[in-house]
Amino acid sequence: MKQEEEELIHNTTSSSEDSNPCPICLGPIVQDSYLDKCLHKFCYNCIVHWTKVVTSKHSYKLSSVKCPLCKMENFSVIHGFDGSSFQHYYINQNFENGGFILTKAHKYRLQCYYTEPGFVGDIFKVSRYWKSFKYLQPNCWLQSWLKREIQALIQEEDVEVIMHHILGVINSFMRRNDQYSRSRTPEAKEEEFQALISDAARPFLAARTERFVNEMELFLASGLNIEAYDAVYKQRLGWSAPGVTSETTGGLSEQRPIIPYLYIFDEDSDGTD
Amino acid sequence: MQASRARLFKEYKEVQREKVADPDIQLACDDTNIFKWTALIKGPSETPYEGGVFQLAFAVPEQYPLQPPQVRFLTKIFHPNVHFKTGEICLDILKNAWSPAWTLQSVCRAIIALMAHPEPDSPLNCDSGNLLRSGDIRGFHSMARMYTRLAAMPKKG
Repeated sequence: MKQEEEELIHNTTSSSEDSNPCPICLGPIVQDSYLDKCLHKFCYNCIVHWTKVVTSKHSYKLSSVKCPLCKMENFSVIHGFDGSSFQHYYINQNFENGGFILTKAHKYRLQCYYTEPGFVGDIFKVSRYWKSFKYLQPNCWLQSWLKREIQALIQEEDVEVIMHHILGVINSFMRRNDQYSRSRTPEAKEEEFQALISDAARPFLAARTERFVNEMELFLASGLNIEAYDAVYKQRLGWSAPGVTSETTGGLSEQRPIIPYLYIFDEDSDGTD
Repeated sequence: MQASRARLFKEYKEVQREKVADPDIQLACDDTNIFKWTALIKGPSETPYEGGVFQLAFAVPEQYPLQPPQVRFLTKIFHPNVHFKTGEICLDILKNAWSPAWTLQSVCRAIIALMAHPEPDSPLNCDSGNLLRSGDIRGFHSMARMYTRLAAMPKKG
């Protein structure tokens, strides 16, 4: 903040006129940010401060803010564009629940959804998971994994209800497999599982549902805890993974752009016999 | 606090540069306090304020530009949306419709526009508003003209 102002003052005194200053501070734009509908450009701090001023004036929950320039209703601030990805600052969300900004761990999970399906299929064997009845052992890390995954996908902090809903469906499915004979093929069981989870998750995850189910299967098949699972995944993504650091300072992310579809694997390692 | 100073300093620079460009507005900053400004604006033509020069006083809050500046007329003016005694101005952009994209310069332009297009339905000066609402355009014009002559034009001889 301080530095930004010094830069501002320095810029004015040196009489170098910027052609496209921020409409709020009138200085050169720091951390390019755009409103999501009209795409007018501001400094990140300037426009976020303004949305906070506007929302604090209303007793009810505002979900949009008028653009200071054109008065169009906007729902989020787009920022942190690094050439391949960007972040959203949602107007009501950040004001209402004290600012849920995706952590680095969430961002990495989202990044996974932009890779080819089967991206880590050669490491985590889903078919073996079903064939060898591994699903009969409860996975104690699943709850935390689910929570983070849903948070990342719907970009909301409070996902308890959705998480428990999906977890409930999974648990009752596993229990049912306990009771009944193991007459059905692993493939049929997997299919039934996928269909059940899809139905449970679709109202919340929409188009991301299928991939979400696949990712969950991969996590279950890995048999790893979250830390170990992340390490494997991140290595594959090309992230230098020093462990899961959660930075919530809404500033710049050090997220390095990775090229999706970098690795394409043969499907045979994951196929049925 | 610091952000408002930096922004006002920017505006000050801009005003110095634009002085020639907008002959109807002369903005000046207090020598000792960057949060106090005055402006001289020319009454728009084809209005009873034509030929008058009106002085405005700006008090800029520390949260500027997230909060609007307080503006009032120092020169007496007969206008439905200006308080006759205090010079207070009823203008939406100075209250609810404020946007940080406004500058002191553009606020002056908005006030000039308000002088040319009064809103008699939200009056601060009821006498003036009633004249316009009752359709007594001539009565309004002669009152406004008289006060322009008395207060906003150089005394003759």
